[in-house]
Order: sequence, then C-alpha cells, then structure tokens
Amino acid sequence: MKIEHDGNNLRVSDIAELNAINASSFRDEVRAAMPTMPSTIEIDLSQTRFVDSSGLGALFALYKAASNGNDSVTLRLLNPRPPIQQLFELTQLHRLFEIARR
Amino acid sequence: MPASVPESIRADSIPAQRGVTNRLSFRCELAEARVATRILRAFLAEQGLDETEQFQCELCLAEACNNAVQYATPAGAGLPVTAEVICHPARVELRVTDHTAGFSLPADCNPIEPDRENGRGLFIIQSMMNEVNYYRGRDENTLVMRKTRTSQQHRPADDAATATLEDARRQLESCQQTISGMARELCFRSESLAAIFRCCTELGRTSDLEGFGYRLLHDLLHLTAADWFVMRLMPAGSSRLEVFAVSAPELRSEPLILGPGVEPDLAVELTAARRRRDVEFDARQARPGLEPLRATGPEANGLVQPLLFGDKLLGTLAIGRREGGTPFSVLQAEMIRTFSEFMAMQVVNARHLEEQVHARLVAHELDIAHRIQRALLPRSLPQLAGFRLAASWESARQVGGDFYDAIPLGDHSMLLVVADVMGKGVPAAMFATIMRSLLRAMAGRSHHPARLLRRLNEVLYQELSTVGMFITAQLVYVDLQRRHLVAASAGHCPVLLISGGNVRTLRVTGTPLGILPRTTYRQHSATFGSPGGLLLYTDGLTEALNPAGEMFSHDRLAQWLAARAESPMSADALRDELAAEMCRFRGATPLRDDQAFMVLAEDAAVAHDRGGTDVFAAPDPRSPNLAGSPLS
Repeated sequence: MKIEHDGNNLRVSDIAELNAINASSFRDEVRAAMPTMPSTIEIDLSQTRFVDSSGLGALFALYKAASNGNDSVTLRLLNPRPPIQQLFELTQLHRLFEIARR
Repeated sequence: MPASVPESIRADSIPAQRGVTNRLSFRCELAEARVATRILRAFLAEQGLDETEQFQCELCLAEACNNAVQYATPAGAGLPVTAEVICHPARVELRVTDHTAGFSLPADCNPIEPDRENGRGLFIIQSMMNEVNYYRGRDENTLVMRKTRTSQQHRPADDAATATLEDARRQLESCQQTISGMARELCFRSESLAAIFRCCTELGRTSDLEGFGYRLLHDLLHLTAADWFVMRLMPAGSSRLEVFAVSAPELRSEPLILGPGVEPDLAVELTAARRRRDVEFDARQARPGLEPLRATGPEANGLVQPLLFGDKLLGTLAIGRREGGTPFSVLQAEMIRTFSEFMAMQVVNARHLEEQVHARLVAHELDIAHRIQRALLPRSLPQLAGFRLAASWESARQVGGDFYDAIPLGDHSMLLVVADVMGKGVPAAMFATIMRSLLRAMAGRSHHPARLLRRLNEVLYQELSTVGMFITAQLVYVDLQRRHLVAASAGHCPVLLISGGNVRTLRVTGTPLGILPRTTYRQHSATFGSPGGLLLYTDGLTEALNPAGEMFSHDRLAQWLAARAESPMSADALRDELAAEMCRFRGATPLRDDQAFMVLAEDAAVAHDRGGTDVFAAPDPRSPNLAGSPLS
C-alpha cells in the first residue's frame, strides 16, 4: 500500500485487497496519515481485486474520520473494478464517496 | 426387439447434471479462510463463471468463512471450517459449515444504512445469492447459498486464478479429506433412504400408523446412534400434545398442554412446538418437575423437532442419548429433520384416511336410514268403496323425516296419518319406524284420534325428549259410509276437506309429540257432501319457495284444490297434478324440505271399473310423483 501527501490532500494506492485480515490496519494507517483538515482524500482501487464487508467497514470509518467537523472534504474512490463498484452501490457506500474513473 | 439406450442416460451427459464439487477444510483462522476462498474462486473461474459472478461467490464465501472463524465457540475454534462449492451448468451452490452458536437469518434483506460500519455480511450474502438457507445442528451449522448463473458457457480460467503452489498442496490434502467424508456421508444417506423405503413399503401394506412410527423411529435411533425417543401427537382440534410412541415405557408421560405459559417455565417439547423449530435438550439444565424428558436420564441430551405439515403443528419428536455423549452432527440433525418431515406426512395421510372412513360410515348410515324410510311408506294404500287414495313423497335430502300411512279399521273406515319427524338420519328414521308400529298396534278400532295422540305422546315422550326430537302428526279417522271424519293434530298442518265442490280448512291445534310429558289433544268432527275428499300434507308443501322467494302457502294450496273440487277428479289425477304444480312453482329452486301429501277422493269415474283388485298402488318412494307399481 502506498500513501502520498500533497498539502491537505491524501492519496492512497496499491491496495491488493481490503479484507477481514488487513482492513483494520489499512484503516489505522490511513487515519494516522490524515491531515487535520483534509480537503481531498483519494483511494485508488485500480489494483484492488477484492473487498469484503470488513473492507467496506474500514472505508466507512475513514469517511467518518475525514468528515468529522469538516464539511468541505471530498472523498473519492478511483477506478474500482465493476463488481466492486456494484458492491459499493449495493451497500450505499457510493452516497458517501465520489466514485471516479480516470 | 433390440433395446436402445435413451439419449438422456448416455454416460457423458451425467456428470454435467450432477455438478462439479470442490470442498476445502481449513483451520479456524482468518488467513486460512482467505486462502480457501481464493482457491474456490479460482475453481469457479475454471468452471466458466464471469468476473462478477466469481467476485460475488468469493465475497459470499469470504463473509461466511469469516463469520465461521470470528464467532466459533471455544470448542469449535479447535475444529476445521469447511467450505464447499458445487458448480452446475445453471447454478452454483456454496456451503460453509461452522462451529458457532448459530445465528438467525433475517427474513428479508432490507437495504442497510450506509453509515453502519458492521453487520453487512449477511445483507451482502442475501443480496447477491438467489437462495440462502441456514441449517442448524447441535454443534455445527451449515450455510447453503445458491446462485443462478448468468453466463453458462465454459470459459478458460482467467487471471483471477492466482492459486500458488502452496494453495495447490492444501487443495490436494483437503480433496483427500473430502473424498473420505463424502464416502461416509453417502453411506449414511443411503442407509437412511433404505430405512424410509422399508417403512413406506410396510405402511402401504398395513396403514398402521403406530407400527409404522415405531419402525421408522427405531431406524432413526440406529442411524443417528441415539438411544431414546418420545413422539407426541396433537389430535386434530386439540391443544394437547399426547404421547404417541416412546422408545421405553418409562418415558410415557401426561399430555402437555399448548397454553399461554412463559418460555423458561415450559417443557422443551412445548418450546419446540411453540417456536415451530428444533430445540436442544440437556437434562442437566432441565427444571425438575417441569421437564418430562428428564425421565431419559440425568446426563441425557438430545433434540426436539416439531412435526409440521406446512404451518400446521401435528406434534413433536424428541430424540437423544442417555449418557452425555457427543451431540448430534449436522448430518444427523438433518436426518432427524428429514425423518420428522416424513413422519408428519404420514400422520397427515393417516388422518385423511380416517376422515375418508368416517365419511364412508356417515354415507352408509344415511343409506340405512333411507332404506328404513322407504320401507316405512306403505307399499299399497287401502282402498274402500267409492273412494281412492293416492300419495306422493319427495325427499329433499338423502333422508327426511316425513311419512304417511293409511290403516284400515273396518269395511268403511280407516285412519289416515301424515307425520314429520324433526331431525334426520338414522335417529329420525328409527322414530318414524317406532311411530308407525305404535300407530298400527294402537289404532285398533279407535275412532278417537285425540286419544291415540295422547297415548302416543305418553309412550314416545321419554325417548324423544332425551334426544331433543319431536314429531308433528295429523291423524284423521274417516268413515266413508257415514261421510264423517274426526281429525286431531299434534302441531301439524291443517287438513283440507273437499265437500260438495267446496274446500274447507280443518285446523286443529295441539302440541307436537315429545314436547310435554302429559298432554291432551282436541279433535274436530266434520261431515262431507259429494263429491268429497281430503288432502293431508306436510309443511314441505306450503313452505316450498319459488325462484322469487315466495312461499307456496296454505292459501295457495287451498285455492289450487278449490279450482279442482268443482268437478270430480280421481285421487291419482289430483296427486299427479299437485306434484306437477309443486314442480312448476319451484322452478329451478332446490327442494328445501321433504314434501309428502296424501289425497283421498271420491272417484265416480273409476268406481265402476275397479275390477277384482281391492288395493291401489302407492307411489314408489324412490321415484317421486310417479304412480309406480307396488314395490316388490
């Protein structure tokens, strides 16, 4: 997993899976790297082959951490594979995160 | 003729029908679960599932396996978790067997709130699969998930198959386990099928539910290595669970009442009956004095399965082991469930059979009553000089309570009777028989119908009142030579008297027979001119309805008779015309009540060609309204 800072922006990439084994460490590492008042947080899922309910839970925890007292933050999920995007839609996560392709 | 092999059983078509299976057992750890689900995904990719299907199956397996690991009981954590994939051309089945305390599947999958952090697993499974079932055993449970495949053509494995060499080694190991496990399971299932077939064959021969139950349950004991059972049944319409079969006499106990009790204070069998699902039993935790199953021993344990047919509770089956041995496995619990379902089916069948027998008995009873009643009606009516008698009887039901009789008392006199026994079936027919015999025995030369009625009432009161029945009757003594009559009535319809071309209503009041222990009756005398006659009837005539819902009524009957009284008519012709009139009036309206009537008419036209016969045929009661030949 790769975490990059650019001012108040955060970018996370190179995630192989978000599953029951690694979800809590992923959540803790990203939360620790988060600026006090982040403006954009992008999680690049291009490399992500698998997300389970623990992974969804970690993404939701990050949303809570980033938007706590901060209305202006943008959370973005980049290039999820179609089945994973369907999972986000099924569990309504796409209402919290912007899903983008580039 | 040379035999040909049908297309459908060609050997190469069979494997595709059965599906391809891959089963993995792994240690109760998240990392192991992840490896297993990856292997199974690779297997599904080989079977040609598209990427979305692969992902969804992998995800559901992962959710189920993670649950199995995270919620394993302390004892279960030492046991392997099993995940299995069965791939059919049209669907995929995923099975995960856990050693947890079990969970409840929500009835439907409502979309979850997006801000919930946990608890999405079951929601995801229910959303992505077409069918989800959770089978709970005593110490292990199996989640069965089924999904219909969208694309069914075979595609080669794509890049998702990332099984490593280590993965392959594990797979080989677990395959060996799988094969021996399947062999055991196959053996077990074939034994249970054989037991069911054996019992079925016997049931077909004997239709003895109790014997069948004992054999089936003893087979079940053997198959599940259990040593006791208690089967209770709830009789239809009752809320008592009564012992039906037990493995040992000391297990018999009083019926359990399915009442409003509160659960911790209920016997396990009642809990299972009330919850409509299986409940475990452990004698060590049972409350003394409350739990009949404690009779199975202080260390006993087992399972109580409700016997259900659809939603209908038929009873319970408790089965278990005396010594606190190992609890039932998933397979054994499933077998108990299968046997219980089968037993419930047989109970329902036996009850249907019983109902059929009962219906046949009722039909038989009605048939007997009908025959008695037919036998009651006189085969021929007496005929006295110058007059003729004719009668008609039509039954609304298979058995009615109407009857008529004409008892000759001398050369010129007779007693005419029309009666209606309230009630139906054999009792009504029996009373009609008694009444008829009594009348014939008592009539003698009595010219006093009122006295006759009083005596009849005294004799019949006891029997009639105990069964809540009563009889209305009209008795008319006629002396044709003196053209004189005496009428008395026990709550019956009036008599219509034809005299010199006019019609009069003779209304005599009186209490029906069987209402009061002692009662006296009035009687009216009258004479009649020529041409003369009488019409006696039951209220089935005057209370008959037409399609407009109007009653035929006594007035209409009197008018109808008056229109025909002016010119002489034979009794037969009057009988036929009245029967036709009743038919016309009724139209398509079904007959509500029996209709019986008797016509006496002075018959100048027939008087001269009477020939040598002194009797006239009464109608055949089997073919109403027809002047039939005498019954042979």
